[in-house]
Amino acid sequence: MTRLAPVLLLLLAGSLAAQESTTARLNRRVPPGVAAAVRALADSAAARGLPTDPLVDKAIEGSAKGVDPERVVAAVRLVFTQLDAAAAGIRVGGVVIPDRETIEAGAFALAAGMTGQQISELVKLSITPYTPAATLRVAGTLTALGVPASQTVALVRETIRNGRASADLLVLPGRVQAQMARGESPAQAAAGLTRAAAARAGAPGQARPKGPENSRRP
Amino acid sequence: MTGYDPLVKRLLDGELALAELPPELQAEGAEALRLLAVTDRLPVTLPAALDARVMEAVRARAASPSRRVLRWIAEPRELRLRVRPWVLGAGLAAAALVLLLRAPGARVSVREPGATAARAAAPERVFVRFELYAPAAKQVGLAGTFNQWDQAATPLVRAAKAGVWTVTLALPAGQHQYAFVVDGRRWVTDPAAPAVDDGFGRRNSVIAVGGTGARAL
Repeated sequence: MTRLAPVLLLLLAGSLAAQESTTARLNRRVPPGVAAAVRALADSAAARGLPTDPLVDKAIEGSAKGVDPERVVAAVRLVFTQLDAAAAGIRVGGVVIPDRETIEAGAFALAAGMTGQQISELVKLSITPYTPAATLRVAGTLTALGVPASQTVALVRETIRNGRASADLLVLPGRVQAQMARGESPAQAAAGLTRAAAARAGAPGQARPKGPENSRRP
Repeated sequence: MTGYDPLVKRLLDGELALAELPPELQAEGAEALRLLAVTDRLPVTLPAALDARVMEAVRARAASPSRRVLRWIAEPRELRLRVRPWVLGAGLAAAALVLLLRAPGARVSVREPGATAARAAAPERVFVRFELYAPAAKQVGLAGTFNQWDQAATPLVRAAKAGVWTVTLALPAGQHQYAFVVDGRRWVTDPAAPAVDDGFGRRNSVIAVGGTGARAL
């Protein structure tokens, strides 16, 4: 027991630090009942390796918008579920222990309308220099713009296959918005960009990246 | 008193009895005791104003409250702490963990063998300009994940262009959700940005701030 004490103290210290942060952020911003429910959910999230800030953010947001406490707690539960599902999808995609940034990006993509399976596929596509977090963020943003989720995955896949710099992935939402400003629907804009990326990828002399099709993980 | 033998002084201090003195000192001792007894019986009278003068002098020398606090803080004190070595080690480790958890940008991504680890995110900040066309508005605020959804924290100002409200913020790299608050009660999404369901029956605008300084939308 004496030998286990330092480990237990470490875990306790980490848990206390997270609790202190959660409590401090909730204080005077949300009703006490909501704060208690959020603290309990945050403890569960921390125990599952999930980030807790999005839960606190959602509770603060609901209170700031004058939403009923019951509805605030329900929304926080939904965020918890999305974070958990995102982490699971990311693990299936090949990241054994996903970091906070990637889980939050995955949860955002789910909230935007993507599925866990699509999250996994996007993570698998994200081989250096593409990071899973950036890919998920871009995909979520495209879906939030109105691009159908399956088309979003196709556009991201073709862009990565094309071997462009990771910055080119980040500008995809802006390019879709530019097409939308010209009168195209989100689906039409995404389809046009996907066709263009596929054509470039298939052009003679076009270098293929170490993409998912020719560089699989062991 | 200085002329007495040391043994007589001890007699006067009550450390010796008269019979314990050597015979040649007993007469001197008896005389000293007699004189002391006479002196002790003399009445002592103090001046009437002595108390007042003493207290006045004490008050003049007394330090002010702030000086006393400073002295209390600055004065070295001795602390005694008994710690078992394993507790000290565990405490230091716990402190290191807390610092690690609070360190900005301390993110680690562990991936399967064969893949490269994701880059650690640096706490970069990017200036972002927000605009809303609201000609009838009397005031407009910006609330989001970056300011704890406090609608009073980031007010927009009227731009030179009629009806346009604007504000420029330095946002950390990452994704943020936000909404404009018109006249303190109407939550409005940014028409120029993608939006997601906020879970409360409304929508939040989304902005992804990239490390390259570009507004990635």
